[in-house]
Amino acid sequence: MSQPVRVAQLSCGPEHSGVQKEIYDAAAAVNAEMFFPDVTLNDIRESYGAFGLEARSADLRLAIARAKALVEGRVDADAVFIATCFRCAEAAIVRNELRRYIHENSDLPVVSYSFTERTTSGTLLTRMEALTTIARRRALLAREVQEGLTMGVDSGSSTTKAIVMQDNEIIGFGWVPTTNVLGSAEEVITTALEEAGVKRTDLEATGTTGYGRFLIGNKIGADLIQEELTVNSKGAVFLADRQHGEATVIDIGGMDNKAISVQDGIPGTFTMGGICAGASGRFLEMTAKRLGVDITELGPLAMKGLSAEVPMNSYCIVFGTQSLVNALAAGSSAEDVAAAACHSVAEQVFEQQLQEIDIKEPVIMVGGTSLIEGLVHEMGKLLQTKIVVPPHSQYIGSVGSALLASGFIRGDIGEGA
Amino acid sequence: MTEYIPTHVGTVTKYVFIDSPDITPQNLSIRAYEISQGIMIKETCFGLQITGTPDEVGRVIGELRTLDPSHIFVKDRGFPPGDPRRCRANLGGARPGYYGHEFEVRLLRYISRGLDRLAACERDGIPVPETSPKKPPAATRLDVKRLKKIIDAEEP
Amino acid sequence: MAKVFIYPATSLILSDMVERWGHSPLGAAVAVREHIQTPGLDSPPLQMTPDDPKRGLKYAAVEVPSGVRGRMSLFGPLIEEADAAIIVNDADLAFGCMGCARTNELVKYLIRKRGIPILDLVYPACDEDGVAFVAAIKAFLSDLPGGVP
Repeated sequence: MSQPVRVAQLSCGPEHSGVQKEIYDAAAAVNAEMFFPDVTLNDIRESYGAFGLEARSADLRLAIARAKALVEGRVDADAVFIATCFRCAEAAIVRNELRRYIHENSDLPVVSYSFTERTTSGTLLTRMEALTTIARRRALLAREVQEGLTMGVDSGSSTTKAIVMQDNEIIGFGWVPTTNVLGSAEEVITTALEEAGVKRTDLEATGTTGYGRFLIGNKIGADLIQEELTVNSKGAVFLADRQHGEATVIDIGGMDNKAISVQDGIPGTFTMGGICAGASGRFLEMTAKRLGVDITELGPLAMKGLSAEVPMNSYCIVFGTQSLVNALAAGSSAEDVAAAACHSVAEQVFEQQLQEIDIKEPVIMVGGTSLIEGLVHEMGKLLQTKIVVPPHSQYIGSVGSALLASGFIRGDIGEGA
Repeated sequence: MTEYIPTHVGTVTKYVFIDSPDITPQNLSIRAYEISQGIMIKETCFGLQITGTPDEVGRVIGELRTLDPSHIFVKDRGFPPGDPRRCRANLGGARPGYYGHEFEVRLLRYISRGLDRLAACERDGIPVPETSPKKPPAATRLDVKRLKKIIDAEEP
Repeated sequence: MAKVFIYPATSLILSDMVERWGHSPLGAAVAVREHIQTPGLDSPPLQMTPDDPKRGLKYAAVEVPSGVRGRMSLFGPLIEEADAAIIVNDADLAFGCMGCARTNELVKYLIRKRGIPILDLVYPACDEDGVAFVAAIKAFLSDLPGGVP
């Protein structure tokens, strides 16, 4: 086993919330170890003064001092995990500023998270896995060209996708709504292989990602089983042909959303989550159902409507649904309601998640929801930018997986932490 | 979830800080070993950690204090000594409580001075000096009449 | 012997003064020790589990962050048990259990609401301050039931 990735923890509250063990467990599951950068009382006083953010909580001052020690190279780390209590305004300010400060002044990958006492290691696992992957597999993530014959499978909460690639070209697709995780995977793999005209035994390497990645990966003997944050980043910059420089990847999923600030295809900071399904693709699925249209028709419908005509707030999916029902009952047009639903989802992602990362252009939207043009349009309005939706954006995880898996053909993967 | 089976149940652990020109942590630990029965003593850079039954720890600490009453300071600790959950070697950095100690240890000289002065007053049978301790500053605002006076006093 | 809540609850100086003059200091270590010595689910480092912030609901509502409620589950029972309290008001560099400013505001408020004898101080910054600080604490503790005159 390779050396554990050393993740510096900057936090206030996990010990007293009973979730420190969850953090330890999530780290251990991906062969990482948490540590607390060593500083002195003088460092705390000086760093806090120099940083200039007047936090009253001493543990936040300590976090600031530890962040400065990392950035100034007085303490070595491979990655940084910032965690503070959910609903604490003071901590949220410090958490955001520290994340930004570390991101701008060092190469350390950072993830920030606000926990409650209900946070489990399972919730933290994907984030911790992404953090350690960035630290451990920089060489693998630097891959820009797909080589040989590879396959990527993305088992999402709503849909399962498979892609077969050969010599940097996509030659087979598979897509089904997720029902039985293994069954759905089998179906898309078969479809993609058939379209590609190759046999399973011809594949030189395979990769899996998404919620079902471990189950499917173990079943098919995948070379790469990888969380979707790093995989989708690679897939996004590959398909959008923006492999170099800065970019922001937004993936509004069926169950949660990812917002990733990317440098040369490698995530720098990212958030993953969403408070309620009201901020996810689920709400749009529900809207389409209520409007009696297929989800593929919702986007064009929304483009014909005006979101401002219908007040809608899907902070909570129940409230969002109430707005939807009320608007229709009050005689609003299906077009306006569709536009309002798209706006509301975009607004929730914007308010809840995009504030946690630095938006750098180009903004690339990926995942199934990026095909809903009304949603892309509303997000573009909120971010005041033209959003890039690459071809095959709904296959982003599979493409990223197939691309990265080709690094295993010659065994040239980088494990150095 | 793993089951947690505690150790050292029924014991107390106390930090004994020594901030004295005359006594070192080593002197203190030797003395503690001499007078202790069945308690655990761990010498540290700042003094000792003593673990045992509350009565026995109390008795030993009572005796240790007599070595240099104004320069020995005692505090409860929640963890037994060397506990891996709190050990710097495992955490990478100091546990949070360490910094609080670091802060207060720098003030101990003032406390020692206070303890010495009180002891001297008691020994000499003179009253403790009537200096009131510093209180948190109260929010004071300039009285409006006083403000008017200041304005009126200004040369045109 | 009186039970005296100390603020900051992690204070070495206050813990020492209270014990030195014959009373029982109620500080964070007392509450942490109880967790460390109680069997249950393993949850290092403090052996606090998600149940502790839930216990803290007695002192702060559910919309209050879990770290505040968890800390209150340590301090709340001590505040209820206290016969008196000593508060050092400029304790800006107390971490861990005392590392959250919002918790500390609530702790001070709840102590004051108890109506028990309270001594308010600030940390000494010179020898003279030290004399006054120690003399005030000794006088305060002497006046408590069981205090040494």
